[in-house]
This record gives sequence, C-alpha cells and structure tokens, in this order.
Amino acid sequence: MKSTIPLVIGCFVGWFAFGELYVPHEDYRWVFEFLRDQAQILAAMAFILGGINVIQVNYPKIRRREADWQYKVVLLVGAVAMGTAGLRWHALGGEADSGSMAVSGTAAVGTGYATLAFDSADRDALVIIDGAPPVRAWHSGNPSDITKPPGDQALSVQLRPGEHVITVRKPVEGYAKHEVSILVADNEPTSAKYEILKRWVELLPAAAAVLPINVAPGQVVTVSTDLVMYWGAGSPHGRVFTWMYDHIFFPCNATMFALLAFFIASAAFRAFRARNTESALLLGAAILVMIGLVPIGRAMSPIFPEIEEWIMDTLNTTGRRAIMMGAALGAIATGLRVILGIERSHLGSD
Amino acid sequence: MAAEQKDWLQKLQTFDRRWIFLAMGVAIIAPLFAPLNLPVAPSAMVKSAYYTVEDLKEGDRVLLSLDMDPASTPELEPYYRAVLLQLKRKKVKIVIATTWYAAPPLVERWLSSTVEGRIIKQGDSSYHGIPDDPYVKNEDYVWLGFREGREATINGMATDIRGTFDNQAADGTPLDDIEIMNGIESLADFDLIVMVSAGYPGIKEYIQQAQGRGNLRMVGACTAVSVPEYTPYYNSGQLLGLVGGMSKAAEYEKLVGKIGTATQGTDVLNLGHVVVISAILFGNFIFFAGQRRRRTLRSGKV
Repeated sequence: MKSTIPLVIGCFVGWFAFGELYVPHEDYRWVFEFLRDQAQILAAMAFILGGINVIQVNYPKIRRREADWQYKVVLLVGAVAMGTAGLRWHALGGEADSGSMAVSGTAAVGTGYATLAFDSADRDALVIIDGAPPVRAWHSGNPSDITKPPGDQALSVQLRPGEHVITVRKPVEGYAKHEVSILVADNEPTSAKYEILKRWVELLPAAAAVLPINVAPGQVVTVSTDLVMYWGAGSPHGRVFTWMYDHIFFPCNATMFALLAFFIASAAFRAFRARNTESALLLGAAILVMIGLVPIGRAMSPIFPEIEEWIMDTLNTTGRRAIMMGAALGAIATGLRVILGIERSHLGSD
Repeated sequence: MAAEQKDWLQKLQTFDRRWIFLAMGVAIIAPLFAPLNLPVAPSAMVKSAYYTVEDLKEGDRVLLSLDMDPASTPELEPYYRAVLLQLKRKKVKIVIATTWYAAPPLVERWLSSTVEGRIIKQGDSSYHGIPDDPYVKNEDYVWLGFREGREATINGMATDIRGTFDNQAADGTPLDDIEIMNGIESLADFDLIVMVSAGYPGIKEYIQQAQGRGNLRMVGACTAVSVPEYTPYYNSGQLLGLVGGMSKAAEYEKLVGKIGTATQGTDVLNLGHVVVISAILFGNFIFFAGQRRRRTLRSGKV
C-alpha cells in the first residue's frame, strides 16, 4: 500500500501530462494548470527544504568543531543574514508615506511658467525631470553636478506649459521613489481640479502615485519627500538586500566565473594532450574553433572563421543531434518506466 | 651537449604553471592599455539574429527573458544593451521576465538605467544612429519579475502567461490594466521572443517547452561555452539567431552601430585565446619531448 498509492499517483499524473498536448478541452487544461501550479509550489518548497538541509548538515559539524568548521559558520550566518534582509520589515504596520505635494501662489493669466520647488528630507535625494539626467534636490550652486556633495540650496526649477513627469529618488537602490506627473495648464487656474486629485493621491501608497497635478502659470508646486528605506527581496528590492547583493553576492559570483580563464589555461597546459588519434583530432578541432572564433583568427587568415563555422555547423551539430536524440529516447523510456510502475527507484528503498 | 639537453628537458618537465597564470593575467590586462582594435566581421548566426529583430515594426510586442546572474554579465550584458537599443529605436513594446532567482536585483537596475533611461547619452559622438527614448513602465514596457519553477514556469508561460505571473506585473499592477498586455495570453502572442540566457533554465528549455507549441519566433544570446549545445537549434530553424559569448556580442554591437564593452573586451579574448592555444601547444611539446627522452633512456643511448 505504501508504494502502491505513489505509483498510482505517478501513473495518473504522467499520463495526464502526456495527454495535455493532445486534448484541447478546457476542463482538461484546468486540471493540467492546477498540476503545473503544484509543480511550481513544490519547486519553491524545495528552497525551504534546502535551507533546512543546509542547517542539518552544517550545524552538527560546527558543534563538533570538524575540519573547516569556520567556513560553515560563514555559510550559516550568510544564509540567515540574507534571509532576514529578504523579509519586508518596513511593511509591518503598513507602508509609510514617502512624499506629498502642495500648490501655492496666485495663478497668472495667460501663458507662462510655473515654479517647481523641492523640499526633500533626504539631503542626497536626486530629482529626474522628464527623463533628463538627475540633478540634486539640495545643491551648492550647480544642481547638475551630482559628483559634488549636497549643499544648502533647495532645488527650484521653472516648468513650461505641458505635462511633466517628476521623480525623486535616492542615489542608491532600496528606497521608495516619489513620482508625480504635473500638468502645467496654459490658461485657467485649476485649483479645484487639483483638490480632487490630491485626495486620490492620499488614498494611494506614495511610491505608486503617478497622478497628474494641474498647476497654472505663476503658481508654485512644492514637492516634499521623505523616502523610506525598503526591506525585503521583492519588487522593489530593499536596501539591505540590495547592498548584500551588490557588495557580496555580485563580486563573489563574478570572481568565481572570472577565475575560469586561469583554470582553463592551466588545464589546457596540463591535461589537453594528443595521446592518441582521437585526442589529437579533438585537440586540433578545439584549436581551430578557438582561433576561428576571435578576430585575431580572421586577421591571420580568413580561412579560420570558415573552418570554425564548418566544424560547428557540420561536425558539432551532427554529434549534438545524436546525443540529444539519444538522451530524448532515454528520457522517454525512463518516463514510460515510471508511468507504468516498472521504475521504482524514486519511491525510495523501502 | 647531451647533459645540457637533459637539464633543459628536465626543467621543462617541472614547468611551474604559475607562469601560465601570469601570461593569462598579462593577456587580460595588456589590451586595456594597448588595444589591438582588430576588425570585427559579423557571422551568419549573428546577422540572422540582428535581422530578425530588425524585421519588427513599431508597436510589435516582444518578450525579453533575462535568465542570467552577475557572473555572466561580461558576456551577456553587451548583447542585452545592443538588442535593447535596437528594440527601443524601433519603438517595440517590451515584456521582461526572468526564470533565474539571482537575476531580479540586476535586472531592476538595468530597467532603471537602460529602459527607463537612455542607452545613448547626450553628446555620445561614437554613435550616429537613431537615439533611444526613455520607456515608461507599464506603458512601453512591463516587468513581470521572477517565478520559480524552471521548466514548469516556461511551460506555464507557453500556455497561460497571465496565470503564471498571477495576472500582475512585478510592481503589483494588474496585467488587465496594462494596455500592451491586451491580447497576450501565451508566448505565442508575442511577435518575437528574445532570450538572454546564461544556462539552465534558458534557451534550451524555452525551445523544448514552448517553441514547438506555436512555432514561436525566437532569438537568443548565450555564453560562449553554450554555443555548441544551441547551434543545432539554429540549424534546425527553431532558433532564428544566436549570439554566443563576448566575441559574437561584439559583432552584434557592430551591426547595431553602438560600440560597447564587448568590442572593448574582444582584445582580451584575442590574447586570451592565444595564451590558451599556446598553453596547449607548449604542454604537448613538453609531453612529446618527455616521451622521446624516456624512450632514449630505455634504449640506453644516454
């Protein structure tokens, strides 16, 4: 019974997935999509299982002070730190408001400019107007020079009639963004319309508020921001998670890959020997492909890229197809064995 | 004379491989100071990838699948930037997704700098083509985010992309509210699928799980090591173009008309390949010289 039920489930699911390609019925598809969702959930659960397994394997070794136990401490601390940074702590108790807008002044009659003033609680905040390069919200004379530290002067710019998209953000990832669309009207003051839109803004999380604010020439629109720091590993990613990704994961990951160049050179020197005819052929093909792939090969002779293409298109494709078809037939055979209950190794030894 | 030769051969037998590391280090660093600037000539596979994208019309919708991690950025980022410039200047609508858990922070940074920002900076004298305009989120492009499940996710996208991503973009906007997602139910509804793939899951899984269902139009970029694996798919017509590794990305940059890091890095590849080939030849020379010496010793001539 212990093995019969899993065998029956395996058989049913196997045949069902196979039939999906041939049965276009809506109900059949619904069941298939349900099963596929389960596969996605199982794949996600594998991460949790993997996490538990990492602790089960490494913690006893640390406790017993086995060889290289220090590295295992780094592993577990790293995993816990990344997991902690991945939770959305800032969302506990609701998302914080990261900005607001206010319109003041008397509207001028006719065409002209409105003034956009910034009042940012963050000294290092950057302002992007209509996708142009960022400028400093606080500057010391030249807001465009973002290489200089922030100054004491608040940014104030003139807006011509038309629609403008204003974004206030921090120079680094992991904080809320404040985004607003401002429409400078070129005739009548539109304060009443603004009041309605302002209430809409208050109902929405500030980071997601992209609503047009109507301003008339002569008026001043003040954008106040206090950009909250995000946590978590979702969209958008939190500051701590991003920092760990940028400063630990990214360089370590890139370094490991970059070292391959040295390993390959060393392995080529030590192991790649023409010991017999087959290895000599392999070696010759490898050298020709390598030299034909890079511009220096073409510079030496235009025949090298042609040889490389011929090897890849003819010899490689032929060999690869044979391997792929063999593997596919093997996979079909294994699949059939599982579906028919002949193959039972996946059920364990009991 | 014989003793001198013996010394020389013995020294070679114990050759310190750290010299190889040094040579590779020099091959990587030297071109940064003295570029070779050898001409780059686009190959057939790269041209095919380029012209497939070039055939798109304004308003067409493309799925851009960025299945990669930071380790593969030197090889794949140049292609991503070049193809994105090509898509943006054709004013194609882009839907972006990933099946790699390590990709989202990297992709989101790219979205803000290259999709919402401009790839061609003002005053860039090296570029003479049509400049790109910033794209607006959920109007010109959609970021669907990451879904775990590998083949199951790709299979889900092939039949019901909305259900696979819970009918919402990564920022929580319902897909029903995003105009460019109108009529997009599965991968078959895209005019083209562009895959930037560092391994598993990637190009191969897209072809196996999705391509055959609707005869989808697909082009891709992969790391150089994966080229032999994916070339049969190009030859069979399942993949309309393939850009493999940094040297092919440099060819793509040339076609797009924007010189980037792949072209700059090609010099490193040139010298790096020369070092690897030299190491192979040198290793074999030592191997055969040693064999000959051992045979001579056995025959008692020394």
